[in-house]
Amino acid sequence: MSATARIGRRVLLPLAGVALVLALWEATVIAYALPAIVLPSPLAVVRALGELVRTREFWRDVMVSLLEFVAGFGIGGALGVVVGLLIGESRRARLSATPVVESLRFVVPFAWIPLTILWFGTSWTGKVVLVGYAVFFVMVVSTARAMANVDPTLTRVATMLGMGRLQLALRVHLRAAAPTVASAARAAAAIGWIAVVAAEYIGASAGLGLMITNAASSLATPVVIAGMIVIGLVGAAVSAAIGWVARTRLAPR
Amino acid sequence: MSAVSQSATGGGVLRVDAVSHGYASAGRRTEVLRDVSFEIPPGQVACVVGPSGCGKSTLMGLAAGLLRPSSGVLTWDAAPVRIGSNPHVGMAFQQPGLFPWMTVRQNVAIGPRTRGQDRASAARIADEFIERVGLTGFGDAYPSQLSGGMAQRVGIARALALRPRLLLLDEPFASVDAFTRLKLQQEFKALLKLDRPTVMFVTHDVPEAILLGDSIVVMTQRPASVKCVLPVAREERNRASPAYARKLAETLAHLGVSSEPDA
Repeated sequence: MSATARIGRRVLLPLAGVALVLALWEATVIAYALPAIVLPSPLAVVRALGELVRTREFWRDVMVSLLEFVAGFGIGGALGVVVGLLIGESRRARLSATPVVESLRFVVPFAWIPLTILWFGTSWTGKVVLVGYAVFFVMVVSTARAMANVDPTLTRVATMLGMGRLQLALRVHLRAAAPTVASAARAAAAIGWIAVVAAEYIGASAGLGLMITNAASSLATPVVIAGMIVIGLVGAAVSAAIGWVARTRLAPR
Repeated sequence: MSAVSQSATGGGVLRVDAVSHGYASAGRRTEVLRDVSFEIPPGQVACVVGPSGCGKSTLMGLAAGLLRPSSGVLTWDAAPVRIGSNPHVGMAFQQPGLFPWMTVRQNVAIGPRTRGQDRASAARIADEFIERVGLTGFGDAYPSQLSGGMAQRVGIARALALRPRLLLLDEPFASVDAFTRLKLQQEFKALLKLDRPTVMFVTHDVPEAILLGDSIVVMTQRPASVKCVLPVAREERNRASPAYARKLAETLAHLGVSSEPDA
């Protein structure tokens, strides 16, 4: 394939998809003569976005949401991997942890939002807890499963080579499970990011979710949609970053 | 040869004494080995042959201390084989079981590393044994870039780099093409010259057993026991000799295979 053909595929086709969605959007606005409060035109949204990014409040809201997410994801993810590792390595840990994990992981994070507001108010702490909770269970279950699926020959090889139990757990089992754990982290990040925004919709003192609900209550629909687009972009960037780490650092070659 | 110049200690005696082994799965108990006894003298190569599924790999795991026998004892130089890591053991597995995230050099060096060598000398030892198995230049390759035969060689290099006094090889040439197999068989004896370890070599290939073994341990169907132990004389390894043909027929007869056409 020639270079121009490759650029055509990599750049033009994705742009064509975006252009099609925007054209349908614009066509809907024109065909139904919708007022900007119901559905603003793409151009109005772009203009709103342009104004937003020039305000200090917008960047504060982005940072608040992102920090809540990063803290929750880091804490919940790390704890999840540790507990998953214990469940994967120790029969005792597996037997005692399984009933708790299996019953709590189906209590979806959103079910906890009222309680976290009751306990932590509208502060960032509640969001961190919520994201951590959401990420934790995804990581526990997927880490434990990935550890169980490690090729048993690798265990025998490591024992033959003189590795002790700790080395076996960390240097062989966890390392062999790492690519699977990383793709689970990507899925967990998506759920965690959704949890942040959802929690902010319901009660927050700052953040992208709050920004959008405030805009909605003052009927600034272009700002609402601009905020939604920002949420999508940030989520995609986080997911891509984790994917990049998984591909470059952990993939079996 | 500086990296491997430390004095070789040579092989010891592996004794398998009235060993039975079974496992329970889905509530049913399967007996794999029943009352297996034989002995491998120091520095000798014993080839274990038998029908597939007769517990040859189980026997390997027991000799390495990776499994605990249901009954009976295995001893190494008169001391019971410990369950877990045994410093005298080097083993190459049927599936090479290379760590896919490590290069060939790292895979071979990890044994010397866990046994106390520093990083630099472990890498030197690894390069030494990579060369011995004929993979010079592949130290930086990853396992996924190797053919099946090359991966098997890395598995053998990894076992040899441990400088084992007991070398356990579980069908190490099973998953390679016929030509590579012949080549590996030819090179095999040379690989043992350095340390003269005691070797237990599991195979289902009778010509291979005659070619490589000082003795052949013939196993029966599962639950397997030892049918007989056949010594192999030097002239019997010459594939062009009538002695070889007689040994082949004799061994196959013990395995229940007739050498008469259309029998």
